[in-house]
Amino acid sequence: MIALVAQTFVNGINVGALYGLAAVGLSLTFGVMKILNIGHGEFLMVGGYVAFWMLRLAGIDPFIGLPIVAVVLFLFGAVSYKLFFSTLSGFHEEQKIKNSLLIGFGLFLVFPQIARLLWTGDERAITPFYSGGSFPILGIRFGYVPLAGVLVAVIVILALHLFLKKTYFGKSVRGTSENWKAAKLMGINVNRTYMITFGIGTAIAGVAGILVGLTQSLSPGVGMEWTLKALIVVVLAGIGSVGGAFFAGLILGVLEAVGAIFMGPYAVALGLVIFLVILMFRPQGLFGKA
Amino acid sequence: MLEVENIDVYHGQIQALWQVSLKIADGELVALVGANGAGKSTIVESISGLLPLAGGSIGFNGVRLDKAPAHKIVEQGVCLIPEERGLFPGLSVLENLELGAFLPESRKVRAETLPFVFDLFPVLESRKDQKAGTMSGGEQQMLAIARALMSKPKLLMCDEPSLGLAPIVVKSIFKVIKQINQAGVSVLLVEQNVKAALSLAKRAYIIENGHVTGEGEAQSLLNDEKVKDAYLGTG
Repeated sequence: MIALVAQTFVNGINVGALYGLAAVGLSLTFGVMKILNIGHGEFLMVGGYVAFWMLRLAGIDPFIGLPIVAVVLFLFGAVSYKLFFSTLSGFHEEQKIKNSLLIGFGLFLVFPQIARLLWTGDERAITPFYSGGSFPILGIRFGYVPLAGVLVAVIVILALHLFLKKTYFGKSVRGTSENWKAAKLMGINVNRTYMITFGIGTAIAGVAGILVGLTQSLSPGVGMEWTLKALIVVVLAGIGSVGGAFFAGLILGVLEAVGAIFMGPYAVALGLVIFLVILMFRPQGLFGKA
Repeated sequence: MLEVENIDVYHGQIQALWQVSLKIADGELVALVGANGAGKSTIVESISGLLPLAGGSIGFNGVRLDKAPAHKIVEQGVCLIPEERGLFPGLSVLENLELGAFLPESRKVRAETLPFVFDLFPVLESRKDQKAGTMSGGEQQMLAIARALMSKPKLLMCDEPSLGLAPIVVKSIFKVIKQINQAGVSVLLVEQNVKAALSLAKRAYIIENGHVTGEGEAQSLLNDEKVKDAYLGTG
């Protein structure tokens, strides 16, 4: 029994790291530009398929191709922001968030259709030669790919954290999120900051997409599923903390995995229960400011 | 140096400024005075590019400001300390100051400007790692001024720096503004506290309901019967 729980815990961490990674990008765009991008998961889906193509068509290993996917998704996100979201920046806060929901739903309607044309509706997975391999420690099995996934997630989160805390541009992102008007008065090009921040968010979603393709499976409709997971994690963590979002992702992953031992397939509902409980009793989230 | 000519500005459908004109010469300290809601803040926000003009023009040292986005206007050396200071409350004092020197030109010289503002406000140096939002109102106003100085402005616009501060703090803030002006920075001071502003400034404009209704030497405005009657409460 203990071995089973420990193994499940490890599996939960593996999945939770993905939840965290998917959520961080959403939290970043929500925190900085006060828009809620329901289409966030679609970028994750695209990132996964790009890595799938790179392996299938060009034989590029998904971990080596990871920076390429990040750059492609950054550019894709920045262009999408410019085309679809940038007109929102002049709106008032409430109007901004309502309209961003509509745009996000638009992406959710369009992107999966395009994906169906490009990659068909079949479930795909990214399967390099080493996928499926694992090694045991104290009777618990660690898969090479999931372990590397957790490592990638931790590195990306740490890099994002350092970027926001230490670099001049990162500080300007945080300043813009706190007071965009004052940021303008400092000479910060707020529209450009928004575009780059959105691009960083989609790049991280793209990296998460690779890991989803490696450890689970990709299909054109997978985006909304991940948007919902990311939303639960963001609500659980509270807005504005990169480390908090990642940690909340781990919590959700572990709870779902351990819950599955006792509840079977109903464990998926756990996330939604957490969502409600947090909104009722701690609406600012576990790590958010009141 | 700054020439605002016949600007009209709207807040949505409502006209807030009518044909407002004003001038500031190099090195001058000019006050904009008037009652709450008269349009003083609207004027400085328009100069900063936060609000679009419906008519008129704004020039600064021969450069048109009115078509430029806000961040380009800062590049020209025009810096606004907005009403209620516009700090980044969750960022540390030092980070606020660093963002004040965001532009490449001012970033290059921040090794010199930072000690300069710490010298001007020693309290900021001792609190440099504290979050800006946790400081007292007076300290926050000092930080707002210090942050503005980090951009090395040629024209500093202060919107109601005395707002919500104790009289003794207001006095020291005004003293610093005077010092900054004496160091060669032109200042446009927006104030509801008409008497204090007129004692500090060389010239002043009186704003009423979105119009400039009077201008002149601060000293003569202080002695003007109409001004005394309307603002100084000694009529």
